[in-house]
Amino acid sequence: MSQRPDLHTLTGAYAVDALPEEERVLFEAHLAVCGACGQEVQELQATAARLGAASVAGAPAGVREQLLVQIDQVRQERPGPGVDAPVEAVAARRVVPRWVANGLGIAAALLVVAVGGLAVVVASLQGQVADLEVLAGDAERTSAELRTVTERLAELEQQAGEPPVLTSSALTDVLAAPDVITVSVTHDDVLGRVVASPTRGEAVFIAENWSPAPSEHTYVLWLITPDGAVPAGLFDPDEQGRATRVMTGDMARATAIGITIEPEGGSPVPSDEPMMTLQLG
Amino acid sequence: MALEGRWLHPVAGPDEVRAPEQVRDEEVLLLAVARGDQAAFAALYDRVGSLVHGIVRRVVRDPAQSEEVTQEVMVEVWRSAVRFDPERGSARTWILTMAHRRAIDRVRSEQASRNRTARVADQQYARDFDEVSERVEVSFEHEQVRGALSTLTDLQRQAVELAYYQGYTYREVAELLDTPLGTVKTRMRDGLIRLRDALGVA
Repeated sequence: MSQRPDLHTLTGAYAVDALPEEERVLFEAHLAVCGACGQEVQELQATAARLGAASVAGAPAGVREQLLVQIDQVRQERPGPGVDAPVEAVAARRVVPRWVANGLGIAAALLVVAVGGLAVVVASLQGQVADLEVLAGDAERTSAELRTVTERLAELEQQAGEPPVLTSSALTDVLAAPDVITVSVTHDDVLGRVVASPTRGEAVFIAENWSPAPSEHTYVLWLITPDGAVPAGLFDPDEQGRATRVMTGDMARATAIGITIEPEGGSPVPSDEPMMTLQLG
Repeated sequence: MALEGRWLHPVAGPDEVRAPEQVRDEEVLLLAVARGDQAAFAALYDRVGSLVHGIVRRVVRDPAQSEEVTQEVMVEVWRSAVRFDPERGSARTWILTMAHRRAIDRVRSEQASRNRTARVADQQYARDFDEVSERVEVSFEHEQVRGALSTLTDLQRQAVELAYYQGYTYREVAELLDTPLGTVKTRMRDGLIRLRDALGVA
């Protein structure tokens, strides 16, 4: 376990579903910020699907009938932003991946909206940087652009006054700890998961399917300790309702993780009972 | 809407060559499913149901459990169709990725209590690719995939097959093949990359 796993080489294992649960969760968090891995995973999943499609077996006759009855009673997930015109999306499908086509246009646009959500911007820019790193070998022009974005990223992180939303190395460190534990709680579809290493006193919080916090509010993570609640970081879910957050504070003293909604910028003490609690150990 | 009559008449069966319009039809159907179209769901099931059940049977093996998982997968397709993004891959890939994940979940929870490593060591893992299950048909796609798999090195092929068809984690695969973890990860990745190129996956 002393060797640091290189997350980028996990694309293959991920595409054939060969990662154990905790590593899958962590790798998905990495995927959210690594454009290069995202692209490769898409291709390898398409390849794996071909392996799957090589096996054809008719399902028993009753299955179709049962399904048609069943779906009539199953509520569908609601469309999120931008899923309104899917048919047009097929027609206008780009051959070039979106991130290449839009390139720095996105980064520029994100800088403009930076006032609204620094954390989100930082996460997006990290993705952009990863993308641009891939191109860096191809063109000198790109490396100049990469520098610009990297500088902007550093600036934004400084302004935000918060540690980066996610760094691969922090994830890798937690993942590589011999005593890593995972605690998950799901309310309806809303998932909160903590991957923690008590010996290292480190933890990563992962959110899936979270609605945005009310305007001018943010989600706050708390370490529940014998002496009370200690703030451990803020998070804002992305458009897919996901967030990954390296938690601050001494995990070794925490008996649980709590989540509340607080005014933007956080609060010194929780203003309410936690909306979700993850018991550790 | 002009599209409506089209999905009543499948362009090609799942075991024939995949014409581009077939791929596109599956997408159009899935996008219609996302808008709550039950007729589109039925048509989509007619196209991909046997593929879903094929991979589920292959991984889960037990017929009754396979039937359950196939149903779960298709209900999940209905429920979460809105998440499908055509820019990120085909409808078929989206559905089969989901089917494989569900099948693997079932196998892992099923076998969590057993010592799978011991089981397989006895049992000799390397089933012939043809000896799938009695009901699995030999298809054009099957032949293509078999051809592509034959271009891999033994270790690449074993790593990919053990993981994909038998549901082993890469850690288990490393143990089974008595190979370092890092090597197994790498072989899974470069094996799939070689398959991708051999199959011409865009």
